[in-house]
Amino acid sequence: MDFQRTGEVTWELAAEGGMRVPGRVFASASLFAKAEADRALQQVANVAHLPGIVGASFAMPDIHWGYGFPIGGVAATDVAAGGVVSPGGVGFDICCGVRLLASALTEEEFRRHRCEIMGELDARIPRGLGKGAVAGKRLLDDVLERGAAAAVDAGFGGPADLERCEERGTSAGADPGAISARALERGGGQLGSLGAGNHFLEIQVVDRVVDPEAAAAFGLAPGMVTLMIHCGSRGLGHQVCTDYLADMGRAMGRHGISVPDRQLACVPVRSKEGEGYLRAMATAANFAWANRHLLAHTAREAVAAALGTSVAKVGMGLVFDVAHNLAKVEEHLVGKHSRRLCVHRKGATRAFGPGHPALPPDLRPVGQPVLVPGSMGTASWVLRGVADNPAFATAAHGAGRLMSRSTAKKTRDGREVMRDLEAEGIAVRPGSVSLLAEEAPFAYKDVDEVVDVCARAGLAAPVARLRPIGVVKG
Amino acid sequence: MPRYRVFSHTADVGIVAEGATVEEAFENAAFGMFDLVFDLSGVPATEAVEVEAAGETPGELLVAWLSALLAEAEIRGLALCRFRVEMLPGGRLRGSAAGSASAARELRGPPVKAVTYHDLAVGEVPGGWEARVIFDV
Repeated sequence: MDFQRTGEVTWELAAEGGMRVPGRVFASASLFAKAEADRALQQVANVAHLPGIVGASFAMPDIHWGYGFPIGGVAATDVAAGGVVSPGGVGFDICCGVRLLASALTEEEFRRHRCEIMGELDARIPRGLGKGAVAGKRLLDDVLERGAAAAVDAGFGGPADLERCEERGTSAGADPGAISARALERGGGQLGSLGAGNHFLEIQVVDRVVDPEAAAAFGLAPGMVTLMIHCGSRGLGHQVCTDYLADMGRAMGRHGISVPDRQLACVPVRSKEGEGYLRAMATAANFAWANRHLLAHTAREAVAAALGTSVAKVGMGLVFDVAHNLAKVEEHLVGKHSRRLCVHRKGATRAFGPGHPALPPDLRPVGQPVLVPGSMGTASWVLRGVADNPAFATAAHGAGRLMSRSTAKKTRDGREVMRDLEAEGIAVRPGSVSLLAEEAPFAYKDVDEVVDVCARAGLAAPVARLRPIGVVKG
Repeated sequence: MPRYRVFSHTADVGIVAEGATVEEAFENAAFGMFDLVFDLSGVPATEAVEVEAAGETPGELLVAWLSALLAEAEIRGLALCRFRVEMLPGGRLRGSAAGSASAARELRGPPVKAVTYHDLAVGEVPGGWEARVIFDV
């Protein structure tokens, strides 16, 4: 791939062949070299073929090989100019994302009650193949239509949880009739569950604040214990994407579209099939917003029970909740003109800058919190959105995988990884010990470097660094 | 000969399954999909599952077959270990599978979320058929 370095942390592939726009990757020299090691850069070029794509096919600093889109891929298509929506550009785990809570605990208090807190979380957080902790058809139906707002109305958490959630926890345009009975059967019972793989619940401590003003606005202070949840729409979202991808192969032919990878199947946003997918996607997204909300509620109750106190006393208010697998219709400047774009973020986080009307009033002066989890056992970061983001208001979503799962398992086994983490003072409660090896810190890139590139590329600005002290894994 | 082999992918997991016939390659791909998650050597085949699938190309049919099994297994809480495929005219197949409850089993790999079309290939090779597929995990 003939990528040219066009800036300190910018690499560009000129449009060639069927590419409609250039490919543009934000990376340091060492992160770019890692992206060259697999097929991620070819995927950046493939995404540039999508009809209606504008600007560039972007990739964030945590780019790695995905299926269809690279992980870390961003594509915005012009809705009025035949721009497409691609379910593969959202991914199977629709609205997978990250939620951060700030507790009233200090690290010392956590350490004193570590066994009880980790024990309660271990016992109460449903994960692995298990079903969710929250059942009931009436709640599920309402969740599909209204997301986290339905869970609040049902008595879980409170209105403040919605203020600090992207989309206020409700994706507009949802239609439960747009998802299959099979999707509901497969995932409906999993509401309030974590899943497995790279999903986690982590206890952290704020170990560095680099932007005190923004940290204060976000409710973060040095030494504060935080809790981070990473998960998505579970089997329900997986099935929605599976169903629509299967149909879109044929639909694409009807619209005269061809793409270099079947996984990039797409149709115009303004088509019967495109509108149907977006309604189904919003429905699955509502499940995901509510899923993280309900997991947070369970975690609050677990911590309160461990300390023998009330949920109100442990705090654990929401800092923010972001999605990193979603397509959204947003207004952005293309050249000098404001356009309605369908922005696909596949393993990439929306990062609205200061003043954006979608932000809650108290965060509007500083910008949107952007959550960038590191790998298990390494730091995570809170960033803030900045003005003039060069990638349609998008930043990285994590450290990004470096090593395949099979290689990770050969490097160290699950028990060794668990011992390594415990030796660093990180309490680990795995659903399956053998799965730990695949998510070991050495299987991921350096999150500090990813965040540094985000800052230098003008994607987002660092606010605070979070150090892990406890991990609950699927 | 192993029924499938794993190939390296940075974030997800890919397999290549072989068979003397296309049916056997499809059966072995299904075996591989579940064997990545559970150690199937200890799973009894006590509950049966029937599925039908359709696809305009052999690759589309493979994804439809594996996706149908994945959904069925998750809905019924099963680890599937035995597979049978009967190809029908018009790009369709009728398949059966058997396995037993998955809930209490130790996971040896992350659960498969979905079957992708990326890098998908089904074709004849010397001595039989080969199916190549990447799973989102």
